[in-house]
Amino acid sequence: MWNMFRGKPSSREVAKGRLHLVLAHDRVGLEGGKLQEMRREIAAVISRYVPIDLDAVEVQIETRSRATELRVSSPLPARGGG
Amino acid sequence: MGRAIVITSGKGGVGKTTTTCNLGAAIAQLGMSVVLIDADIGLRNLDVVMGLENRIVYHVVDVVQRKCTAQKALIKDRRLDNLWLLPASQTDDKDAVTPDDMRKLVGELKVIYDYVLIDCPAGIEQGFKNAIAGADEAVVVATPEVSSIRDADRVVGLLAAQDIPTRLIVNRISAHLVKKGDMLSQADVIEILALELIGAVPLDEHVVASTNKGMPAVLEGKSLAAREFSRIARRMIGLETEAVRETGGGWFSRLGRALGLSSATAA
Ligand SMILES: Nc1ncnc2c1ncn2[C@@H]1O[C@H](COP(=O)(O)OP(=O)(O)O)[C@@H](O)[C@H]1O
Ligand SMILES: [Mg+2]
Repeated sequence: MWNMFRGKPSSREVAKGRLHLVLAHDRVGLEGGKLQEMRREIAAVISRYVPIDLDAVEVQIETRSRATELRVSSPLPARGGG
Repeated sequence: MGRAIVITSGKGGVGKTTTTCNLGAAIAQLGMSVVLIDADIGLRNLDVVMGLENRIVYHVVDVVQRKCTAQKALIKDRRLDNLWLLPASQTDDKDAVTPDDMRKLVGELKVIYDYVLIDCPAGIEQGFKNAIAGADEAVVVATPEVSSIRDADRVVGLLAAQDIPTRLIVNRISAHLVKKGDMLSQADVIEILALELIGAVPLDEHVVASTNKGMPAVLEGKSLAAREFSRIARRMIGLETEAVRETGGGWFSRLGRALGLSSATAA
């Protein structure tokens, strides 16, 4: 949420955002390097089925309440178009 | 049979010892018998915060090593009828005590006293493992800051792995900073840690003065922090069931929420 008067997020909102990210990683115990390695492997697996841009694959760890989930997103080319 | 509650946090300096001291005194004021255990072996603290440092003869390591009985090592707080302190040793190493020792000791004390509050050292190593070993429940103390909440989250995970029911105290909240949007609110902390809140203690200079004197704030009068510690004590022993009130909010923030306004500007 944004401060209406300054148009910038309050430091409270910044802290919240940072915590959500930090905790998501802490909770699964995946440090940055490991996550990148996993991203590369997932991208490689997808590319065996669909021709994709390997660098466009993104992985994110998100946390709400005490549940944590892994989100993988990859743009897929339309058939015949790519 | 009494209840053993460990006061823990991960990070140091967030208010564990202050909380142990004040909750202990407040529960004793309500007529229950209370023993406080300083589990910070090698860095004892609770004795000076309680103002009992001049009366130490034996300590927890002596008890564990069977140099004396637990009863003999307990220091009675003369300001209240039913409050005792089992101090930590200042010279021994953390591994002078094992989780098994603590489990036994706390178990023995629970037979005699209504409440055993254990002041946990910072960190998640041996001292932490000792402190939680005999606990039936945990209270995690966190301040509304990124590093404190991060460490608290770690500890919450470790407590959950041991099946220890855990509740949250948010300490050192400044209503003024929350209002300005420069501090996480108690609601933010609850949401992030996903724990049940048992109390939110304001940042209060009376705590600093009380600590200087070695006098629990709850015995000194009606400062804001003292009042909240007393309320938490009542909730803890089941006397007060009313939900925890929002601090740092007030009618404007409730109105703001009702109107669906941004919480950063309204709360
Ligand atoms: N609610 C509060 N308001 C003001 N100062 C506080 C409050 N709670 C704790 N403090 C101060 O913060 C410092 C650290 O508290 P302490 O209880 O020793 O933390 P811990 O045991 O977690 O290391 C102490 O100087 C204490 O007086
Ligand atoms: Mg302490």
